[in-house]
Amino acid sequence: MNLGLQNLESSAFYVTVMAYILCMMLYWVWIGIKKDLIGSLATYIAALGLIANTAAIVIRMVISGHPPLSNGYEFLLTFVWGIMAVYLYIEYRYKLKSLGAFVMPIPVLLLMFIIMSMGPEERVAQAIPPALKSQWLTFHVVTAMLAYGAFAISFGLGIMYLLKLKEEGRGWEAKPQGIIARFPDLETLDELSYKVIGFAFPLLTLCIITGAIWANYAWGTYWSWDPKETWSLITWIIYAAYLHARLMYGWKGKRAAWMAVLGFAAVLFTFFGVNYFLPGLHSYAQ
Amino acid sequence: MKEHQESAVDKLWRIFSSMKLGLVLLGVIAFFAGIGTLFPQMDVDPDKAQAVGKLWQTLGFTNLYGTYWFRLLLGLLCINLIICSIQRFQGIYNRTFKLNPPENSSVIPKKVQETWQGDGESLRKSVQDVLRHRGFRVVFAEKDKQWGFTAIKRRWGNWGSFISHVSFVVLVIGAVIGSSLGFKGFLMAGTGTTVPIHSIQVSRGTVKETFDVLINSAEDRMLANGQRDNWYTDLSILQNGKVMARHTISVNHPFTYQGVTFYQSSFINGVHLTADVKGQKIPVTLEDRGGNYFNAPGTDLYLVASAINSDSQKPSMLFEVFKGMSEDAVQSGQLDFGQTIDIQGAYKLTLDGNSGYTGLQVKQDPGVMIIWLGCALLLLGLILSFYWRPILVSGIFQAEKDNRGELTMGVSTGKVVGGVKEVFDRLVGEIRAN
Repeated sequence: MNLGLQNLESSAFYVTVMAYILCMMLYWVWIGIKKDLIGSLATYIAALGLIANTAAIVIRMVISGHPPLSNGYEFLLTFVWGIMAVYLYIEYRYKLKSLGAFVMPIPVLLLMFIIMSMGPEERVAQAIPPALKSQWLTFHVVTAMLAYGAFAISFGLGIMYLLKLKEEGRGWEAKPQGIIARFPDLETLDELSYKVIGFAFPLLTLCIITGAIWANYAWGTYWSWDPKETWSLITWIIYAAYLHARLMYGWKGKRAAWMAVLGFAAVLFTFFGVNYFLPGLHSYAQ
Repeated sequence: MKEHQESAVDKLWRIFSSMKLGLVLLGVIAFFAGIGTLFPQMDVDPDKAQAVGKLWQTLGFTNLYGTYWFRLLLGLLCINLIICSIQRFQGIYNRTFKLNPPENSSVIPKKVQETWQGDGESLRKSVQDVLRHRGFRVVFAEKDKQWGFTAIKRRWGNWGSFISHVSFVVLVIGAVIGSSLGFKGFLMAGTGTTVPIHSIQVSRGTVKETFDVLINSAEDRMLANGQRDNWYTDLSILQNGKVMARHTISVNHPFTYQGVTFYQSSFINGVHLTADVKGQKIPVTLEDRGGNYFNAPGTDLYLVASAINSDSQKPSMLFEVFKGMSEDAVQSGQLDFGQTIDIQGAYKLTLDGNSGYTGLQVKQDPGVMIIWLGCALLLLGLILSFYWRPILVSGIFQAEKDNRGELTMGVSTGKVVGGVKEVFDRLVGEIRAN
């Protein structure tokens, strides 16, 4: 039965990969030709990918007997789920399909990373060390997944803002049918980016706090300046600076967009840079 | 002279009450915190840290988070937060609890505002009924033929930012208390060993407690599928030989006695043996990989377990015997469960079974509850700031003829407009329809 479930998990994973690649291409095509059918298809396939992603995660949980949060593969799978879940909600709530063209490459690249750099042995469910057997781990990684997913969305919005700003600076009125000209207006992009970061920031705070609680139960130290802890704090500080600058000094628009981009770079380094380049307690990927 | 001193104090106060300074300090702290992750740190990897260039070591980069200048940065940020909070307290208090209705229409917020005509009495009743029904606290004031009102909803949201910033001060206080008081240590002991708490290996602080820790058993428990379950240590706290408490700990499940917490940190396999030295039976426990040795009394023979097979049914070990300071073993071999061998004609050794060596982190941190309080305050502050944003509506009615006149009503949007206009438009619609 275990082999059957493993094969099912593997199938769900590849369906997820194919669905996300396909919907990414469809979003790109849609943003070029703006055919409603293509746009609807992109959304449906994204939703299908999310269902397959969910199935892969659930089956993984059944096989391993614990939440799939204990190694790089499992976390990337749930990180991708977080990005897609937040993105589809944003698309549904704000009718912002053009964001898909900028957000989809992120989960696709993460899945490609899994395929190209992780061997089968890394993707098989394995025993977790005693330190990872904690309910706090679940809260910690779920909040990280949702926060990181939302920051990926704000990154996409920041990129869209900067592209549109650049076009406007060139006098885009001459090309009113151009791709970028059809993005939502700058104020909408900016405001939505702020809302998404406003959603993600408390979650990131909760992620850091639950991590500290878990560390205290496991090792008796709630904060040890471990590289992962330190870089998550740096990420937190960047977004805190974004919020302060926006609320107190009216930093909107271009500066806010760049901070959203910089913040996500810090998110990526917090995950990849620390896991693969810096040693520490969080080196479960090594 | 006194005036000059006051001026310097005022200047310092002004500098430290600046949010810009706070942001700069945050940026500098983030920068150096990041640098610290690129250098090996002394408390994590002392060998690599000592291999780093002397200049970097002198500047403190290999012990960055413990250097005086990093702590100074944190201290300056703390002062900045305290002064900013004191500076802003009165304003927040007034905006929450001492609302004053407007006396003229120039102070009504202009960004989102509506004006319409109506009867003074019915408008006032309508405003009161609708706003109160919508959960607003309404304050009216009358003067001559005009009346004004201020209404606020979710007023506690004003305190979100203040509470968030104060929480950092609480966190720093908790960290300072934790690092100044209490202690942090480690003990590694085998089954059946009693360890006086003051004899443990301490890395910080001083142990003032006087109880003993008895390791009743230490187990590396495996599941039926061969995967590791957890490490379990059954320990007792003894005071003057009397058992005061007994508990089984495992990773993520510590035990606290009189403020001292024991955390299951590591586990090493071991064996327990009996050495027969000229008729005297001596119990011996040895750690895997030569973690400790047995020196039989009256001899200069040192026996170590170089490898242990911890099979619960048939444990066995590879051993080596050294004479004095010699680096070459004078005897080596394998000892199986229940087997007795002769060691250099000096004594006999029997393998009795497995014995776990448990590694426990031992810590006393009086500041940890303050840390959790700080975390709770931080979360509360963020929830209030992001999800409990106050809405402040104000208006003024100016009578023109009889009791008819013009009502001007507006809503404060702060720096964020989104969503507030919709709420305001709905309120106006309800007031006009009422």
